[in-house]
Amino acid sequence: MNLAIPTPGVRRRSVTGLWFRHAVSFVRYWKFVLTWVVIEPLIVLVAIAFGVGKLVGEVEAVSYAQYVTPGIIMGNAMFHALFETSWNAYNRIDNDVYETILTTPITVTEITLGDILWAVTRALLTTIATAAFAVAFGWIDPLAAVGILLPAILVGIAFGALGFLFSAVAPHTTFLTLVFTLVASPMFFFAGVFFPISILPNWVEPFAWALPLTSAVHIARGFALAEFNASHVWSLVYLGVATAIMWPAAVYLLKRRLIK
Amino acid sequence: MNLEQQNTSDPHPAIEIRDLSKNFGDFTAVAGISFSVKAGETYGLLGPNGAGKTTTMRMLAGLSPASRGDIHVGGIDVVSDGRSVREIMGVVTQHDGLDNGLTVFQNLFLHGFLVGLSRKESKERAHEVLDFFSLKERSKDNVYELSGGMKRRLAIARSMMGSPSVIVMDEPTTGLDPQSRNRVWEELAILKESGVTVLLSTHYMEEAAILCDRLAIMDHGLILDEGTPDEMVERHASGDVTQMRVQPASLRAVRDYMEERSIQYREVGALVSVTGFNGVKADLSGVKDIEGVRVSTRPGNLEDVFLAITGRELRDE
Repeated sequence: MNLAIPTPGVRRRSVTGLWFRHAVSFVRYWKFVLTWVVIEPLIVLVAIAFGVGKLVGEVEAVSYAQYVTPGIIMGNAMFHALFETSWNAYNRIDNDVYETILTTPITVTEITLGDILWAVTRALLTTIATAAFAVAFGWIDPLAAVGILLPAILVGIAFGALGFLFSAVAPHTTFLTLVFTLVASPMFFFAGVFFPISILPNWVEPFAWALPLTSAVHIARGFALAEFNASHVWSLVYLGVATAIMWPAAVYLLKRRLIK
Repeated sequence: MNLEQQNTSDPHPAIEIRDLSKNFGDFTAVAGISFSVKAGETYGLLGPNGAGKTTTMRMLAGLSPASRGDIHVGGIDVVSDGRSVREIMGVVTQHDGLDNGLTVFQNLFLHGFLVGLSRKESKERAHEVLDFFSLKERSKDNVYELSGGMKRRLAIARSMMGSPSVIVMDEPTTGLDPQSRNRVWEELAILKESGVTVLLSTHYMEEAAILCDRLAIMDHGLILDEGTPDEMVERHASGDVTQMRVQPASLRAVRDYMEERSIQYREVGALVSVTGFNGVKADLSGVKDIEGVRVSTRPGNLEDVFLAITGRELRDE
């Protein structure tokens, strides 16, 4: 396939322009989106911390609520970033919104960057909202809550890129169900959100570590428990490498989809 | 509306296409076409579906890489500097591509912003454009509430947000009711007055005849001929066309009449027509005597031109 359209340098104005477009669209439906940003994570947090937490007691020397909070926050950040660049991006492909945008001086590369930037924004919004509750309940230290913004940004970038790998090849919306069955659910339940990966059977452990969300949860928990070691650096590197592979793939696939 | 023409005295043609081709695998959509559009001119690509019009438009817009050939807009190479081209060119794609999550105004405003206007400029420009297209009262509506005609007009309005010197429109009125179509034609006529260069594709010969200064007839990825509408008719369909409205019961008799005299005719529904091109005048005196036949004549038009060149109808493809 001939994709010989030269990629000019990325213009900041294009990326922020796209971010602004998403922000306007988001603000228009803020009442509905806010339920997902704030209420949904609150439901999960309260149910797990008060419900399951009562049965579990302490994990790794902290209350279950304290243990589970950074993980749930990362999981929510992941859902938001993924949803933005899979479902929402698919709709923008399907309704020729991207096609229209490409008739302006904006490139496919810039589209992916603008959308990923917006995915990061959504990840941050839900992280800030959920962390604020967790601070109020005493489940996370205020300083640690600020710290986990870093892995939240990384989650936004990595899963923003990952979402495109689905939307760019999806023939129809039903295909996007795979985002949940293949990505979101396995990550949410095997990335060490609810229990330490070390209690999994030995042969499952490497798979769990291979999940990008695991690295993000590991870093977030480092902040929550104020404990860092070399493994956290590896997690940072792993997320970076995963993104460095997924983002060019996203650009390639989206180009193939839109420019033909 | 102030269109802020960008340098009409530019020595380059507004659009110049040379030996342009596009293959999709084994299929050749555009098979080596060349034409140029002067600044301020409205140029039409007339042809049936599948002639290669949309592919040509998409290559111009940078939505499809050319397999071979050159495209220059305002002297700028689309392949090496597509971004600069898209700064001076507005595009109306075949499917309106409106953003359903936004209002009418937001669609224009955000497009202007993406084109590169500041927020303030884009807001002002959106109001101007809404005024021009009489869409002001709908500015706060969701785009999905608009009629097809209004959506199309909004898509055209959107292409003007960056005050382009060149606008490319892929089938601006396909699928519209006659009333909306007239409205678009009126608006495009005013646009033309303002000096914008327009390249449009259409499969309506009426549209091409009304709007275009010059046009190219396209079929199977090739340009078959090019000229002003009048020149084209003069060249290929200069004589009058005899039209016979025939009642079903008399159709056989009319066909027999034509075949006995080896007269070339075409039949579309109940309408049988015979073209008298190039001085050859068929003897149709006896047709009037067949019962249930009404005979009239009309001058040749672009549809006849298309038939004369390709041997096929432009319509009903």
